[in-house]
Amino acid sequence: MLSFVTKRLGQSAVLVLIMSALVFVGMYVVSDPVAVLAGEDFTEEDRLALAQELGVDRPLFLQYLSFLGNVLQGDFGTSFVYNRPVMDLILERLPATLEVAFFAMFIGLVVGIPLGVYSGLNQKKRSTKAISFFTTVGYSIPNFWQGVLLIMLFSVWFKVLPASGRGDTVDVFGVGWSVFSLDGLSHLMLPALNLAIYTICLQARLARSGTQEVMYQDYMTFARAKGISRERIIRRHLVRNILIPIVTITGLQLGGLIAFATVTETVFSWPGIGKLLLDSIHNSDRPVVVAYLILITLMFVTINFVVDVLYALLDPRIRYT
Amino acid sequence: MTDQLVHVENLTVAYPMADGAVFRAIDGFSMAVKRGQIVGVVGESGAGKSTIGKATLGLLDENAVIDTGGVMLDEVMVTRLEEHAFADIRGSKVGYIYQNPMTALNPVLTIGEQLIEAIEANTNKRGQDARAYAIDLLEQAEVPLPEERLSKYPHQLSGGLCQRIVFAIAISAKPDLIIADEPTTALDVTVQKAVLGTLVKLTRQENIAIILITHDMGVVAEMCDYVYVLRHGKLVEEGSTAQVLSNPSEPYSRELMAAIPRIDHKIERFAVPGGLGKAEDRERAIDYLMSRKADAGVEGAPLLSVKNLSKTFTMKATALKAATDFKAVSDINFDVFPGETLGIVGESGSGKSTVGKMILGLHKPDPGYEITYKGHNIDDLTSKAQKLAHRQSLQCIFQDPYSSLNPRMTAGDNITYALRAHGVLSRAQALELSGDLMELVGLPRASARKMPHAFSGGERQRIGIARALSFRPDFIFCDEPTSALDVTVQAELLNLMKDLQDQLGLTLLFVSHDLAVVRQMCDRVMVMRSGEAVEIGACDKVLVAPEHEYTLGLLAAMPRFRPEEVA
Repeated sequence: MLSFVTKRLGQSAVLVLIMSALVFVGMYVVSDPVAVLAGEDFTEEDRLALAQELGVDRPLFLQYLSFLGNVLQGDFGTSFVYNRPVMDLILERLPATLEVAFFAMFIGLVVGIPLGVYSGLNQKKRSTKAISFFTTVGYSIPNFWQGVLLIMLFSVWFKVLPASGRGDTVDVFGVGWSVFSLDGLSHLMLPALNLAIYTICLQARLARSGTQEVMYQDYMTFARAKGISRERIIRRHLVRNILIPIVTITGLQLGGLIAFATVTETVFSWPGIGKLLLDSIHNSDRPVVVAYLILITLMFVTINFVVDVLYALLDPRIRYT
Repeated sequence: MTDQLVHVENLTVAYPMADGAVFRAIDGFSMAVKRGQIVGVVGESGAGKSTIGKATLGLLDENAVIDTGGVMLDEVMVTRLEEHAFADIRGSKVGYIYQNPMTALNPVLTIGEQLIEAIEANTNKRGQDARAYAIDLLEQAEVPLPEERLSKYPHQLSGGLCQRIVFAIAISAKPDLIIADEPTTALDVTVQKAVLGTLVKLTRQENIAIILITHDMGVVAEMCDYVYVLRHGKLVEEGSTAQVLSNPSEPYSRELMAAIPRIDHKIERFAVPGGLGKAEDRERAIDYLMSRKADAGVEGAPLLSVKNLSKTFTMKATALKAATDFKAVSDINFDVFPGETLGIVGESGSGKSTVGKMILGLHKPDPGYEITYKGHNIDDLTSKAQKLAHRQSLQCIFQDPYSSLNPRMTAGDNITYALRAHGVLSRAQALELSGDLMELVGLPRASARKMPHAFSGGERQRIGIARALSFRPDFIFCDEPTSALDVTVQAELLNLMKDLQDQLGLTLLFVSHDLAVVRQMCDRVMVMRSGEAVEIGACDKVLVAPEHEYTLGLLAAMPRFRPEEVA
């Protein structure tokens, strides 16, 4: 266990190192912050002064080394554009993204898995064909277009849910959360639904193929031969077994939801971290982009670790040998 | 309550097929079982044996149709019941024992949960009572440390223990009948005997009847009072065990009995039809195979010599567990002489296949070993040509005829693709050669164009043999080549291998868990247990008067098929 954890930590350190270097080079190649930030009336001297102020006048590898030194002391630098510590900027907006991503994942699991198990068990029913039609459609329609449709349906025609913003937030641990107030929750609904549709479809398909596979295993027949109830067979024998692949994908997808909720955040004007990333790339605000991507990398590493632990908890064959 | 428990009356179960035809898994079959009686149902795969058990429990596939007849259990026509009505039958009146205990138990639930849920579903015991009864049942099924086992998972226990747990589940509600579908096929022979003993003890106590479905005549001879022989869903013969086994009246039953390998004496060939293809068809293939480079090493010296062969596998660490080492093979030494067959026997996990794989170069042995082939240390081979010649000279026949052929290539391409990859053969030559080899192994030349799924298991194994032969090898490692096959098919295949060996002077390393098969095929035998060789010597000695007590135990545990003694 300990050697496993240290190995994982070592791997993620290397990963972060490589990733940050790539972003450094990438941002350097793509654009010049001085050119973006400088006004039209800047003289050559002004530009030089600006470059010195931002620290981009030195050779790239020196910039990278001093960045690494600062990170080791817990300093991710200052935004070129906002002139504020990068971590403050990110932490201000991260909760909004986490909130919508986790809520979407919750909806996805709670709706998707039962749908999938049902259609796996009743392969010939009409309702199964309908489910499989809708999951295919939901899977294929582009995210942004789904968002626009949702706004049209729920905000324009039925006028039941607001289309933009976070609504009222309630402070918990010094951070505002929409999910704890009724108004906030109603604002959260549409963006979360927008992200959840894909998750529902993915989970339903996973659960369905898992069910179809597990259903024909010997232990399922044997469980029936034992005379235990159908409800118990499904709840204990079937679901416990299909959870193993579902956990893997859920882990990967949760990372994806947090890291790439950008489109949804834009459609619903959700003040999350995705929008910050887009703006920062646009303004070649390198410190923000680098810090954000390091954070996302660490998050993926953590999620994968949690998945590995869950895996072992769900599957005794991994736990004991 | 009458003495008659089960009455299968003219049962026909049909499956509609894709092309509109109907496949009858069981066709007009009748049988009767009295209370407390042990009745055997024997036959080869596809004979419809399992269908009888599944029909009795309402576990047939959804598309199965009961065409005629049915199964009467205690005056109830169970084959006409609705799904919910089976709740009173499954587990409570009829217990079911599955072929493979490792797959019958759910891998992610504890033994305790799986046993207690059956108790709670079929008896009026709940909670602590049910738990206490579970421990009691495990004790009766002779599971050591029953209380501790309740919190274990199936993969932590051996196959034999898992089967005892399945027994405990099956008898939990004291049913009238137990359907045992190949209950010991997946178990090692030493385990099989004890497990069957337990099953008989448990059922005798409660006067439970057993329908024992099996392909193993030895098991039938030891357990059953009465036996039904099935073939292709139809009844071939029925009668008392002694009569059917020692004096079968139908030709198929006679063939079946003749195909069973005997441990007590060695015969030249099995008395079954089949073997090599027709003499005039196979000449060209023989010529091709005999044209191999006659480099058999030094006269009188071993073809293959193995010294200090060991293999350690390391299992990777996972989130909740450290890395562990597992010694699969330790310090094996043996020689194989040209033209001889050396057998390796042992129970599953004894490392017998690993030995073969190391010789073929599929696993890297632990350092300190020495493998000499045709007088050269195989690690001294340096040039590409030498290595290629060496690899072609050693070939392999695999255990599973289904997964060992590439399903997307024709049979012919499966036989020759490696030679084509080496650039030795043109397309036309490859077609010619695969046809010749198909004929040699007794398959029609034209079927080289068919895909593997169009062949039966035995035919696929013949293709596997043809593929091994295509390289003109001197040495073939046969890894349980017949263990997945029915006994008559096995007999045909063993005949074929003997014929080929006679014709071509091949040297074989023959791995098997079946002592009787080894007795029929091998000149010498090595007995392995947990990675170590316990005994090596001539078959006539080791399998007749063994020195090591482990070998003695193996021999004693084998169910004896000696029809002359049953009678």
